[in-house]
Amino acid sequence: MGIELNRRHFLSAAVSVAGVAAAAPLLSACGGGTSQTSGVNTESGLKAALPAYVPSTNLKPDIPSVAGGPDVLTDPGFLTYPANPVATVSGVPGRGGSYTAVTPLWGTVPTAGNSFYQAMSKALGVNLTVKPADGNNYNTIVPTMTAAKQLPDWINLPTWWNSNFNVGELAGTQLADLTPYLSGDKIKKYPNLAAIPTGGWRVGAWGDKIYGIPSFSSSFVIAGGTFFRRDILESKGITANQVRSADDLMSLGKELTDAKGGVWAFGDLWTYLYTAWGAPLKWRVDNGKLVHAYETPEYLEALDWHYRLATSGYVHPDTLAGDNANGTTRFYAGKELIQGGGMGTWVLSDYQSGVAANPNFRRGAFDVITADGKGTPRVDMGASTSMISYLNKNLKPEQVEELLAVANYLAAPYGSAEYTMVNFGVEGVHYTRQNGVPTFTDEGKKNVQAQTYPFLASPPAVISNPGGDVVTRDYTAWQAANVKALAKPVFWNMNISMPQWASTALAAQPVEDTIKDCYHGKKKVADVRAAIASWKSSGGDRLTQWMTDNVLNKYGTGQ
Amino acid sequence: MSTTHPSTGRPSRLSWLVRLRRDRSLLLMAVPAVVLLVVFNYVPLFGLLTAFQDYDPLVGVWHSDWAGLEQFRQLLGDPLFWESTVNTLYLSFVQLVLFFPIPVALALLLNSVLSQRLRNFIQSVVYLPHFFSWVLAITVFQQMLGGAGVLNQFLRTHDIGAWDIMTNPHTFALLVTSQAIWKEAGWSIIVFLAALAAINTDLYEAAAADGAGRWRRLWHITLPGLRGVIVLMLVLRLGNALSVGFEQFLVQRDAVGHDAADVLDTFSFYYGIATGNYSYGAAAGLFKSIISLLLIWGANKLAHAFGEDGLYRR
Amino acid sequence: MTNALTVERAPTATAAPGAAARRGRRTGRPPWEEPPTPVGQAAKGLTLAGMLAVILVPLWIIVVTSLSSPGAVNRAGGLVIWPDGLTFEAYREMLGDSTVRTALLVSLGITLIGTAVSMAVSVLCAYGLSRPRSLGHRFILVLLIITMFVNGGLIPTFLVVTGLGGYDQWWALVLPGAVSVFNILVLRSFYSSTSADLIDAARMDGAGDWRTLWSVVLPTSRAVTAVIALFYAVGYWNSFFNVMLYMPTDSPKWPLQYVLYIYVNRGNGMPGSVNAGFGSTHAQTAPLSLQMAVVVLTLVPLLVVYPFVQKHFRTGVLTGAIKG
Repeated sequence: MGIELNRRHFLSAAVSVAGVAAAAPLLSACGGGTSQTSGVNTESGLKAALPAYVPSTNLKPDIPSVAGGPDVLTDPGFLTYPANPVATVSGVPGRGGSYTAVTPLWGTVPTAGNSFYQAMSKALGVNLTVKPADGNNYNTIVPTMTAAKQLPDWINLPTWWNSNFNVGELAGTQLADLTPYLSGDKIKKYPNLAAIPTGGWRVGAWGDKIYGIPSFSSSFVIAGGTFFRRDILESKGITANQVRSADDLMSLGKELTDAKGGVWAFGDLWTYLYTAWGAPLKWRVDNGKLVHAYETPEYLEALDWHYRLATSGYVHPDTLAGDNANGTTRFYAGKELIQGGGMGTWVLSDYQSGVAANPNFRRGAFDVITADGKGTPRVDMGASTSMISYLNKNLKPEQVEELLAVANYLAAPYGSAEYTMVNFGVEGVHYTRQNGVPTFTDEGKKNVQAQTYPFLASPPAVISNPGGDVVTRDYTAWQAANVKALAKPVFWNMNISMPQWASTALAAQPVEDTIKDCYHGKKKVADVRAAIASWKSSGGDRLTQWMTDNVLNKYGTGQ
Repeated sequence: MSTTHPSTGRPSRLSWLVRLRRDRSLLLMAVPAVVLLVVFNYVPLFGLLTAFQDYDPLVGVWHSDWAGLEQFRQLLGDPLFWESTVNTLYLSFVQLVLFFPIPVALALLLNSVLSQRLRNFIQSVVYLPHFFSWVLAITVFQQMLGGAGVLNQFLRTHDIGAWDIMTNPHTFALLVTSQAIWKEAGWSIIVFLAALAAINTDLYEAAAADGAGRWRRLWHITLPGLRGVIVLMLVLRLGNALSVGFEQFLVQRDAVGHDAADVLDTFSFYYGIATGNYSYGAAAGLFKSIISLLLIWGANKLAHAFGEDGLYRR
Repeated sequence: MTNALTVERAPTATAAPGAAARRGRRTGRPPWEEPPTPVGQAAKGLTLAGMLAVILVPLWIIVVTSLSSPGAVNRAGGLVIWPDGLTFEAYREMLGDSTVRTALLVSLGITLIGTAVSMAVSVLCAYGLSRPRSLGHRFILVLLIITMFVNGGLIPTFLVVTGLGGYDQWWALVLPGAVSVFNILVLRSFYSSTSADLIDAARMDGAGDWRTLWSVVLPTSRAVTAVIALFYAVGYWNSFFNVMLYMPTDSPKWPLQYVLYIYVNRGNGMPGSVNAGFGSTHAQTAPLSLQMAVVVLTLVPLLVVYPFVQKHFRTGVLTGAIKG
């Protein structure tokens, strides 16, 4: 049994928990304090700062990437792991310095100073103490560190918490500016870092300067899709390409629901489906004018359909009761047959769980559709990554260079010797080869599985699920089929620092709550309309104006 | 129990210094607790200033911009705030009426169970739900009473329509109270059991000898014996009327809709801290603190009016 | 003029029952109590049975789920009601982990020390405030009660504790929460209703306040002392929020609840890996089973400790005082 080799997908899944945040422009809220970095990156300023991009030629993927529109590329797929991993870094990157690093961890914490950490420190040549902190409470832990000005030398800050952590302001005060070390051709000193696409570097850029080191960047990022139990639907003769419109989907409801038998057709679909009606994720430019999604007629049309779905009796009652935690379990149990989910659910462990419940389990996803079945389907792309790590401003230049060399090691491409070390440990101690696939030993499972080093720096994402190759094939096929539908939304990959009132208006909590009640069938579309009207007058219109004045007119749409 | 002057019968009027000398041990005993509270509760009160600011944690309390009463103005003009307050008071009242008598009644019931072993067994089982998290408790409720739960599946297979228990906003107050009873009643009886244990059983014997039946014994001996504790709990509960719960409502917010489930604590969390609007949340919190203090002062006065000590004597 | 050896009876006396009446009566009805009516019996029985059922059924489900394999959990779509393949994997995984064992010791230490500190501080304070007419007791009481409702907030408290050097120190897990005003109020309520005659009698014998507390008040209030000690102990045993704040990255110092909490979150915060099975036996332990095993493990110490507290509900005896 191997591990998830494409953990990035975990992360984008975690992002989709935050819902639409994945594809929304990256935001940071400023408080009323006096120190404030500039609001947005300028195109010219950023171009000067961004590192060059030199793709890696380390390993040829079994399933090559397929290009879509501008900046869109599917993730490469791998069905095998190289028997003899090649080294990309000569010598040891570090020079013996001592550093602390903090990363979020959704899992059990390995014991401090375990054999893997020791082996890594030796391979890296630095005394790097990695301290994983609880992922679910990370957004409580980090503000206490920043408030007390006690950030470690190296810290990972997931982007969906950018406004909670106020990263825009942190960038100016507690985080190190990496532009002098990485911009333009300077990054060629670190070839593995240069192999990270430019989009990833944009995500860590604030005020036209580079601060962050991206992990798991990808050129095919969408929040999620509409999944279905392929094995069960195909046994009834239903295939994915029979669903070409929203009505097709609704008609499956009657066919698949059997309340007495405890089976319902649908779970929550809204989050990953509403753009099918043509509504943008957050912003759109209509005739040069900036328009918020709430104000588009398509948005309310989508809502109306979901309301009808919720009251049709084909949606699982637990979903209507807001029980998201067990949604995937219901999927495995076959109690919910069609549900929206983040892309991170399509991984090896999902396959293993599904198969444990039902040996025929197979996850499928519907293609991106348009609601009426006509026209070209389109889905907004997400930011290139959601995991960025930053260095502490107090580090001296030699220390920064040392850590960048370490990052270069950590970002070694898939299948390289360094990648093997970071993700599997030492052969014989932490993993062995079984049928050519690296498989963890007990020691490895305990200490290496936890995602710590890859959150500091890692190569661009790949899709690989040894032991569950059907997942790799299905997922890459789906990506290839839908790559043409991806398009960059307005303000793609732009880091915008906005005042507190604006980020509150953007979060629009009261409206989102009413929307959720609506697609759970508790409130009518008219109620949502009222909530939107009230949002507009209490900050929404002001927000749109601010975005127009401060972002659109000055910096464009980020296309 | 009297502290009147031995000869005149009037309350003593000793000088301050004399009282200090007399009570110095008592004061000394209270010192450690007071010191701890001052350090860890009173000193951080500078955080209350954030309610009057546009607080930014990175800049700190001393450097954030001042906003005067702006946050409060916004708060009082926010219909969601009032909705939460009304919900809180309503749910609190329902729980006071329906929940509060139950631990007392249960303690009395258990006390009258004759088999020691049975009594112990029940006692040690009944408090266990107190240790479940609310997330777990609601999951269990959903499993049993939810739309796809055991009860409703049973109804469906017998062709009776499903009952909407977990997602009905109109009966939410009853649902929430039932959940609270299930989870907390068993633990709440402990204090009453301790009080019951302190009642002199000779009193029962004497009363029985005088011909008092079981209900009269309950009324004249047991309840008076519990009165002090009951009043204390009641006063504290009234003072806490605005803190009707947090996790329990957060978890069920999606199930019944936020109109029914938002209470002051979830409001502060959702519209304050969770969106980085610290000052707004702080203002809501401060508002709640002030009202709670008024409530508890009022409750205590009420207790005095009934001749009870309440939290402290008149 | 009362003698220290007599106990005066009063209608609202809360002096403990005399030893003679209680001694030897374990089961069976006391001679003065009427036989129960059949209706009464039935009603009582029904209520108690209902109460037990409502609690035991969920407990059953929790235990069964903790013993279920990931396949069983996924087939059931959540909590498992009817056993569908039992395994001890969840328990084996947790208890076999040395981190858990270290954390257990840490928790024991914190609970014992914390409870001792809290009880000492609270008992003293409660008694110090329980004598009527003592100087300043109302003022101090108000001071205490205010803290129940007014709070400076998370970050200011954090800044105070770390400002005092509490980051990564064990005292940060004990001192900030050492005082529970609720507990002090309960103790105080019991102490102030201790018979004044007993206290006067002790005073007559020359005892000061400390001696009175130790020799008179404490022995007569064993039940409430046990109860409050239980409340504090449970509080310390279950607490983990402060760990998250003050030592989030220092694993050897973590108490049990925090380690278990992380176990539970394994895979739980990461959508897409729900019930995927993790850890040393990958894909063989469902996080839901782990969660339920954690719940069961949390309950075990309580089931062990509670009977000792229960003892005091039966006795609570006033030793040394004989009915005159």
